[in-house]
Amino acid sequence: MPHFLKEFFNRNGTGMGLGILGLVLFWTIGLIILPQLSMLDFSFRPNLPPPEIGGPKDVYTLENYKYLVFGPEGGSQDYNTVDLRVFFRTLLAAVCVTIFNLILCYPIAYYLGQSKGSHIRIFAIMLIIPYWINEILRAFALRIIFGETGVLNTLFVGLGIWDMPFDFIRNDIALYAGLGYAYILLMIFPMYNVIESLDKNQIEAARDLGAPWWRIHWRVVIPYAKPGISSGCTMVFMLSAGALAAPQILGGPSSLWFTQLIYQQFNDNNDWPQGAAYAIVLLVTCILFVLAMMRLFKVNMGDIGK
Amino acid sequence: MNNSFLRISIWVYLAIFFAYLLGPLVIMSITAFNSSGFPRMSPWECLTFQWFGELFQDQRILNGIKNSLIIGAGTVVLSVAMGLAGALMLTQIWPRLRATYYTVIIAPILIPGVVLGISTLVFWDRINRMLGLGADSFLSNGIFLTVIGQSTFIASYCMLVLVARLQRYDMALTEAALDLGATHAQAFRKILLPFMRPAIASAAVLAFLASFENYNTTTFTFGEYPTLTIELAQKVRYGITPAISALAFIIVALTVFFALLNEAKLKRQELVAAARKNATVEELAGKIKLPSFFSGNMAAVLLVVFAVATITVVGTATAYNPGQCIADVKEQKRLEADQRIQELRKQREEQRKKREAEEAEQGDAQSAPKPSNNSGFGNVFAPNSLGDEETSEPETPPASNDGFGGAFDPNALQKDQ
Repeated sequence: MPHFLKEFFNRNGTGMGLGILGLVLFWTIGLIILPQLSMLDFSFRPNLPPPEIGGPKDVYTLENYKYLVFGPEGGSQDYNTVDLRVFFRTLLAAVCVTIFNLILCYPIAYYLGQSKGSHIRIFAIMLIIPYWINEILRAFALRIIFGETGVLNTLFVGLGIWDMPFDFIRNDIALYAGLGYAYILLMIFPMYNVIESLDKNQIEAARDLGAPWWRIHWRVVIPYAKPGISSGCTMVFMLSAGALAAPQILGGPSSLWFTQLIYQQFNDNNDWPQGAAYAIVLLVTCILFVLAMMRLFKVNMGDIGK
Repeated sequence: MNNSFLRISIWVYLAIFFAYLLGPLVIMSITAFNSSGFPRMSPWECLTFQWFGELFQDQRILNGIKNSLIIGAGTVVLSVAMGLAGALMLTQIWPRLRATYYTVIIAPILIPGVVLGISTLVFWDRINRMLGLGADSFLSNGIFLTVIGQSTFIASYCMLVLVARLQRYDMALTEAALDLGATHAQAFRKILLPFMRPAIASAAVLAFLASFENYNTTTFTFGEYPTLTIELAQKVRYGITPAISALAFIIVALTVFFALLNEAKLKRQELVAAARKNATVEELAGKIKLPSFFSGNMAAVLLVVFAVATITVVGTATAYNPGQCIADVKEQKRLEADQRIQELRKQREEQRKKREAEEAEQGDAQSAPKPSNNSGFGNVFAPNSLGDEETSEPETPPASNDGFGGAFDPNALQKDQ
């Protein structure tokens, strides 16, 4: 038995140690690692009816990945433009939502982190309450507002600013607003945690030395808050790229989100390996993108989640 | 000048921000009380509570709540247990493995929920097949799969909550207990667990809420046991009614209530601690005068206001009958529709008159034979013209032709119902 295992059992006792070790192994290996590997393996297999699984036809193939890039074999187009366009549009939109959230949330995180008083607690409650409301219901609320006879259209048409109701849903404005809305808290919290620990003297020193307010933020606050900003951005990006509820409810009829394609492969086409391949592509691309961004902005992996 | 400008812009920004954050919830809650069949705020029709009644008669929603509660309970137990084990492991793991281990157990938070759902489904399906079990075995049961899939990432949240408290735990306490002859299990149950209890409670609440509102993972794993969130998503996607707003209102009210309750309790603890600190020795020895629950406690006052408002609303709801108002609105709408029909008809007749007049002129000029009668009034007074028009225009609802648009037709109301 390795030394550290022996020490572990000495410290926790045999029974307790086995319990802890069992639960941890079940979680890490049984729930996290093996299912992901299993999905990876599955994505390289053809879609077969159950009796043929494990038979001679069950061989590894790149077919599912080829399908995403080149489309069905013998198709009229060289590339699978429909799915690829959805894929890149999803990534681009997720980036836009992240930037929008960052701009919207940075001032409030700074304000909450730097001011004292009892109203801050009330603000914190007001921030948290929407987060405990069901995701579906939040999307539904935005649909009431952005619908054709919704609050915004009634208001603007009533005021005479527009003469025709504007279709927010078809133009995807409702979708972006909904995605941004869903993840506000995940952006604010990491930033708030970091900014709260910033020494106020640093800001005052910069001000005494004559820096205008924007330079104080640019040179003092933002560099200090970088770990918080990058955690927030990572979470919002990953979650909005992987969102399913908001696109289903708020998305226009002609625009799809990549997760909706995965959902269709599983539920409508009954093609699990194809869906698994798409899921793998989404997961790997998102992780690579986040890593690249972290390299670009010189953030360490260890800073995230602090 | 500059300072006050900055102050004002901060408040404007805060107002916009919180309007974006809370406005949708407020508007959605209000639509629950509008009698309009489609959830909307304007035009406001009647104050009604019928959607709450409809909500509680919806079998699918009730069944969804039941499934959600079962799955939530399972997820809480499994993910708090795994989270606690994971946190304990993190504090004592071999240092060289620590970073890898941390990455693995934190990863599920970042993996998209869709991917977690798919991998759970695929993996357990494979295990099921390897064991040679049928499609209706325990391993392919919707409740089991959903609990497993949700726990994968909810345990990570629990672990983060628990590890924060565990870091403040003094290991010497456990060692002392062991030295005094306690077994490891006793030391765990009597020393560590009581210390961890507040963190375990908040982790459990967090896990339950996360499980209750999860959609992305559950949508792949629920099988034959749709949770409330799944049912809601189905309803919202295929036809929305204000009954959903009613449910949302209930959830919002409950959330606000518990948030205020929690805040009031925290504030009270703070006030009590402050009073203890400021109390003189005599006061401490004799009777210490603790602040009452409401003094200086904004949240408690709000809580009471909120509770009174809720009771009032429920009280009104049982006594209130919007039937008359709804009938009025119906009548009003019908009148408006009739009026619109009349206007349309008038317009069309004028157009026709004009056209006929033009045609008549042209006809005179070209002396071409015309099928229409060339009386100066066009077809207006032809007895069949209106009837023809109605059959040729299917989108115009049939209405009686008297000048009041059928408002006084005794059959009209019955027809409407």
